[in-house]
Amino acid sequence: MRLVRVRVTGNELIMPGTHVLDLASPEVAASASPGQFVHIRCGPSWDPLLRRPMSIYKIRPSGVSLMVRAVGSGSEIIAASPPGAELDCLGPLGRPFALEPSRRQLVLVGGGYGVAPLIAFAEHALARRCEVILLVGAASAVQVFPAALVPPEVEFQVATMDGSLGHRGFVTELLPGLLSWADGVYACGPNPMLEAVSRLCRPGARGLAGQTDSAKPIQLAMEQHMGCAMGVCLGCVVKTRRGYERVCRDGPVFQADDIVWESVS
Amino acid sequence: VTGVEPSLTVDLAPTNKLGLRLANPVLVASGTFGYGTEYQPLVDIQRLGAICSKGITVRPRRGNPPPRIAETPAGMLNAIGLQNVGLRRVVAEKAPIWERWTVPVIVNISGESVDEFVRLASTLEGVAGVAGLEVNISCPNISAGGRLFADDAESAATVTRAVRAATSLPIMVKLSPNVSDVVEIALAIEAAGADCISVANTFVGMMIDVAAARPYIANVTAGLSGPAIRPIVVRMVYQIAGWVRIPIVGVGGVTCLRDALEYFMAGATAVQVGTANFVNPNTGVEIVDGLGGHLRERGLASVTELVGAARRASRDSLAVTVE
Repeated sequence: MRLVRVRVTGNELIMPGTHVLDLASPEVAASASPGQFVHIRCGPSWDPLLRRPMSIYKIRPSGVSLMVRAVGSGSEIIAASPPGAELDCLGPLGRPFALEPSRRQLVLVGGGYGVAPLIAFAEHALARRCEVILLVGAASAVQVFPAALVPPEVEFQVATMDGSLGHRGFVTELLPGLLSWADGVYACGPNPMLEAVSRLCRPGARGLAGQTDSAKPIQLAMEQHMGCAMGVCLGCVVKTRRGYERVCRDGPVFQADDIVWESVS
Repeated sequence: VTGVEPSLTVDLAPTNKLGLRLANPVLVASGTFGYGTEYQPLVDIQRLGAICSKGITVRPRRGNPPPRIAETPAGMLNAIGLQNVGLRRVVAEKAPIWERWTVPVIVNISGESVDEFVRLASTLEGVAGVAGLEVNISCPNISAGGRLFADDAESAATVTRAVRAATSLPIMVKLSPNVSDVVEIALAIEAAGADCISVANTFVGMMIDVAAARPYIANVTAGLSGPAIRPIVVRMVYQIAGWVRIPIVGVGGVTCLRDALEYFMAGATAVQVGTANFVNPNTGVEIVDGLGGHLRERGLASVTELVGAARRASRDSLAVTVE
């Protein structure tokens, strides 16, 4: 992990309000793994105050790319960084997705902006010769991650709440039909979606009869507002079977059956 | 002073036999720097004046449910709930690491009763690696029905006296800013035997989730910190410095050398960098880097010459009236 100033080498608007920023930093890229994040300062000012955690969306030898959705004063500043600008970057941080060698057939579930770390993970899994299905959900077609940016070897299925593209309804409704095929499920998105993934994959759930959690790892990348991202402020905790754990340090990737969902707001 | 390197050393416990001599007056605040080890990959922590540890309690605490933090204009709210590993593990696992460091570690202690403060202080007495104690009296006092020890002069003095009797270590008592008269409490703490005072803890605040029409922080109320509070704490330091003789440590919204200078000039002997560590972990070291040059520019031989500089220049009466 490093604290470095990195140059923005590209900034592309991939869908309304969502940019892909390419950052030049071979050092950050060399130690980055899918599921990890970087913590980006919003500029030299102290207002907005806190850094913003951003999932690593792509890992190249020359640097990493981030998917930045401009949703507030801080992410708007970062998303507006033009090529040539410098960003104050802390990372890579957190526990990445684990891909055991025995996993061959993976289902990835992304809700909205949560697709970002799944693209990096899909590329990693493809390089390991896994088969990958990516399920992506959004409110409507305009917010769906563009198919053109999904690696061509990945089977891609879409769900929208308004039915404007793909399946009409929750993205998790696409999952049960794939559970007998998959030997690993990896998800990132809003907490209600992650909870639904966790519930659907529980042993004995429909489509999973006879399989145990240990046979089929369900890994969830959790999102949480963060302070330091160094494990110090204890602000970003989630309740697990072991107590309150830090999303920044003990996560962001957790085993699904470790999360105590009743406590997740 | 030409050619002579200005002195950055300060003593935060000048009347204590052990003393609390620091290489420079820039500390990091409790709760913003863990146990010191967490930032070692990024920060040359040995260059700090001292490290105030995460607040510790007699037993481990799991802390409050999330959400625990929220960003506010130039600040943040937190309600962590003193999550920590407990006294025994701090002594067994953290102190041996601190012992090898040149930077002094001041252990921040929190008790729910006077007895708990005494137990913390007496257990830490003589533990190698512990340079001093910061007494956090701003936690709920269970024996007084949930009020804070810091809420009134008498309770604050009771805790301070008990800790003073339990340890020969230098003790810094951390004031709450959520009181009507900080001077009265500062004077009571001084009289009760504190070696120095840190001013101040966070301000009690709140944020409403307007979409859900409920408090955003699970604990409902939370402590406000960051640059937003700096002017208020500078005022408190200025006010207290007119009355107490023991060193004052200013803590609240320090982000750079200029901010530290404000506190020195208001009457603080040292500062603690808190929330800024989350944004720039090197804030403290950068202030230390800039301080020597600043003193040379002003032709000062020691940072202590800055202490209270704004007071001496001011014709204000020592008691500041707050409208």
